[in-house]
Amino acid sequence: MTVTLHLKQPPSVPLEAEVLSPNVMAELSNSEIRSLVVYHGKRQVPLEEFFDVEGERSDELILHGELTKVRMIGRAMSSGSITVHGSVGMHLGARMTGGSIEVHGDASDWIGAEMMNGFIHVHGNAGGQIGAAYRGALAGMKNGTIIVDGAAGLEVGMRMRRGTIILGGPAVDFTGLQMKGGTIILLSGAEIRTGAWMNRGTIISLKPLQMMPTFAYASDFNPTFVNVYTKRLKQFGINLPFTASQGAYQRYSGDLSVPGKGEILVWQPA
Amino acid sequence: MTCTLGEVKQRADFIVYWGGNPAECHPRHFTKYTIMQKSKFLPRGRKDRTMVMVDIRETKSAKAANIFLQVKPGKDFELITILRALIKDQQVGDEQIAETGLTREALDDLVQRMKSCKFGCFFFGMGLSMTRGKHMNSAALLTLAAEMNAFTKFVAMPMRGHGNVTGADVIMRWQTGYPFGITFNRGYPRYNPGEFSTVDVLVRGDCDAAFIIGADPGATMPQPAINHLKRIPTICLDPHVTHTSKLARVHITTAAQGISAPGTAYRMDEIPMPLKPALKSPYPTDEEVVRRINEAIAQKPFWLPEGSQPQMISTQV
Repeated sequence: MTVTLHLKQPPSVPLEAEVLSPNVMAELSNSEIRSLVVYHGKRQVPLEEFFDVEGERSDELILHGELTKVRMIGRAMSSGSITVHGSVGMHLGARMTGGSIEVHGDASDWIGAEMMNGFIHVHGNAGGQIGAAYRGALAGMKNGTIIVDGAAGLEVGMRMRRGTIILGGPAVDFTGLQMKGGTIILLSGAEIRTGAWMNRGTIISLKPLQMMPTFAYASDFNPTFVNVYTKRLKQFGINLPFTASQGAYQRYSGDLSVPGKGEILVWQPA
Repeated sequence: MTCTLGEVKQRADFIVYWGGNPAECHPRHFTKYTIMQKSKFLPRGRKDRTMVMVDIRETKSAKAANIFLQVKPGKDFELITILRALIKDQQVGDEQIAETGLTREALDDLVQRMKSCKFGCFFFGMGLSMTRGKHMNSAALLTLAAEMNAFTKFVAMPMRGHGNVTGADVIMRWQTGYPFGITFNRGYPRYNPGEFSTVDVLVRGDCDAAFIIGADPGATMPQPAINHLKRIPTICLDPHVTHTSKLARVHITTAAQGISAPGTAYRMDEIPMPLKPALKSPYPTDEEVVRRINEAIAQKPFWLPEGSQPQMISTQV
């Protein structure tokens, strides 16, 4: 049994719908779900004004429609799953503590911001500030995994403390800004200022990167943890090269300005 | 880490202008506050002060400086980050320094001067805060100023533009706790620049009305934002005909602040200055127009259903 929601018409101004979460839906009947409150701009409206709701009492949510202006889907969810067929708005899965979200479409900024655990997979492109800390907060995502098959925006993994972010497409500037831990894997590289001001953590790039001047080249090596990662990531169709016959990772350490113990590993094929 | 211009005038013996052209944009800044004034602590005035200019090209301001550092365009963030490393005696390669367009000697000299001054001050302009990197470029310079306080007194101050832009930030700050980029849709202020800041809201088309007071986004904002302003009902309060008033649905002509309307303007160091009108105007002041609009809105019913309150987001978790 699932709860399926179809968007009737796109909202004219942002729709803040943090109730679109398995935690909320799990115990509610169909009519209770229909009367949940969402915010269209500043106005409180029942969910049924924007969505056709089928099913009840389930922690499996399926959303259909052009949801680019629908924000905070799966915010702070702790279990269950959300599947979206369409594009979603900001704050998808922000502060979530468990469960999984799959988006067959594009996502916007702040996906998985400050998440504690769980899994987010976006098949399209995403915006900026993935797994980041909100403005003024000291730490971003604390655990969990975010996979984006497409491109991403600014400040991916800003101030993240733990967890993994994997980007299939290219990222823009300030990837891993002020990172405190965790791993960012860039399959198609990034633009400039990658790893700026990082304290700790690892950024792995399979494409050459333009380094910050405050990173120092350390060595070429093949870290053993990469083949452990590869085993886990194979189920998502992601292959990280790790054998010495294929090449080696150039290790850069920094950021010297902090001064930090972060590392950027750039793949060099043999 | 900031201070008033009075403190700069009395005490600052080391002044850095970064990405601005004060000689042409703030012509009285040098003479009234920063480099020309004599004071109890700097009795010889200009001779007691060192001025450094960092910019991508040699402007008129560079002639007034003791040291001019020409940084490559778009390398400000990198240069400030290198300086943050150098003041902590970290090793940065010559090649990496050369990428910013400067030499190691120039930077070593700058760091030595920064550390040995008694009171240093960074002033940064749009060349820093409006180029690639935006807020992070400003954040970098502010962090550098904060870190310099491990060695000596150091402050940083933005060179604010025309009009009362500082006032808008200051008032929003003491009323809501945040300077800009605020939404009130849940009944309490929430802050998220990039999500709620004006230009981003307009570019994404997230608003269905706009109310603009004393600003001209029609002249400064990107084309998608201007197109959205044309689509939605835009109300503009301005003494003059501007790009924004031309595309607005309603333009209310108001009296010019400081010329024909009294008020308070905030100087770039956030000092409030009373404005006394010299002329009379047939037009109402901005304050009066906003007050009358507020009174009209108060006649309308409350926007939420009877007896309900906006819900905080965290209570629903």
